[in-house]
Amino acid sequence: MTLPREHPVARSFIDTHYRQIRLLIVLWMTAVLLGAFSFGGHWLNIPRISILEHTARNLYFHVPMWFTMMALTVVSAWHSMRCLRSGDAVRDIRARSAAQVAVVFGLLGLLTGSVWAHYTWYEGTSIWWNFDPKQTMATVQVLIYGAYFALRSALDDSAKRARISAVYNVFAFATVPFLLYVLPRQMESLHPGAEGNPAFSEITHPLMRLVFYPAVIGFIGVGWLLYHQRVRARKLEQQLENRQYTPL
Amino acid sequence: MKHWLRGTWAVLRKDLRLELRSRYVLNALLVFVLSALLVVALAAGADSVDTRIQAGLLWIVILFTASLGLGRAFVVEEECNTALLLRLHTTGSMVYTGKLAYSFLSVLTVNGVLVMAFLVLLSVEVAHAGLLVVTLALGTLGLSGATTLLAAIIARTARSGPLLPMLLFPLLMPLLLAAVEATHLSLTGSVAGAWNAAASALAAMTGFTGVVISASVLLFDHVWHD
Repeated sequence: MTLPREHPVARSFIDTHYRQIRLLIVLWMTAVLLGAFSFGGHWLNIPRISILEHTARNLYFHVPMWFTMMALTVVSAWHSMRCLRSGDAVRDIRARSAAQVAVVFGLLGLLTGSVWAHYTWYEGTSIWWNFDPKQTMATVQVLIYGAYFALRSALDDSAKRARISAVYNVFAFATVPFLLYVLPRQMESLHPGAEGNPAFSEITHPLMRLVFYPAVIGFIGVGWLLYHQRVRARKLEQQLENRQYTPL
Repeated sequence: MKHWLRGTWAVLRKDLRLELRSRYVLNALLVFVLSALLVVALAAGADSVDTRIQAGLLWIVILFTASLGLGRAFVVEEECNTALLLRLHTTGSMVYTGKLAYSFLSVLTVNGVLVMAFLVLLSVEVAHAGLLVVTLALGTLGLSGATTLLAAIIARTARSGPLLPMLLFPLLMPLLLAAVEATHLSLTGSVAGAWNAAASALAAMTGFTGVVISASVLLFDHVWHD
């Protein structure tokens, strides 16, 4: 039995081709994973650098996590801004969903970075955590979203929650340039591109870029997929809530 | 413009007058600051603390004091049911600027006492007093700039509790790092080169303060009006 549609909504390209897009992302990521873990032979066998050795493959996972988190942060702030302009509830759903997925990628980025650093930078020590500027920046970003969710749970009325939390989200986003550009300049870093360290392009073998760039696109795709699923689920939830009870 | 200035001044004067009548915030904050400082001094064991750690401890106490004292700015209006009157008679930017000025003045007063007590209790020697004063003033302005908008936000929530420190601390990280750096230089740096050495930290603090205050002015109306 199918329920009648009360509000027929315009379906976008993404809505009508969702399954195909999802399949494309899954296949893409499968190819990336195969490339990332191809050992032996000459095919995509990465150059061996002392200390780094095969941990260099973490480049395919750790760095795209950050790109995905930053992309989702921008998406979240953008929708919060639009939510303040229009007061549209869907904008709030989008901002919140993007923030949630951004936190997941932020935590994964911290985890992959922490493990990587332990076995390379801090080889032979017991250090797992160091206040490297990029690490600090990411931690602060995750903390900001933690505060954002806590603020949301302290607001009962849904329209007020959308507006007030959007203000906090935009306000926090205004300080991001300081986290990204000013703060790292004032601290010493072991990350590539920092003072005294070679830039990313100088130390990366062309072979690795063959996997790295597709991995960036793939992880952003996965991030978008998770975000889109959450938005769809929330929209449906809201439609169910708004549907008036009619006896069958 | 003249109208706006008069409105801002009226909000500031109202808050100052209320404060002078009860002296609640000032008394509470001064007692808090002194007891917190005593705890810090006892825990640190005054004789062997590195100047960087001293600077860090000072800013931790400042941060906690501000998050305790400034959180009340808008909650008071809601509790006394005066928020509606304020909304009727003034515009959002007047209220924001007035409250910001009040927060700045009260925290600056408390910080002045705090630093004096800090220098005496931890027997700190200041190499460059001018730099310390500028750092404190800039840091206080950035602190109250960020806190005023957040105080307005938590006044709209049903359960405020420990919300303000949680919202505030991650946002203030850039300011805090620069302020600790500049304070550290003012305690140790040579008298001649201190300004040059602290220039980037001071620039970061100025930029942060500017960004935070402009963003607050733009966003305040969304919080203040229903």
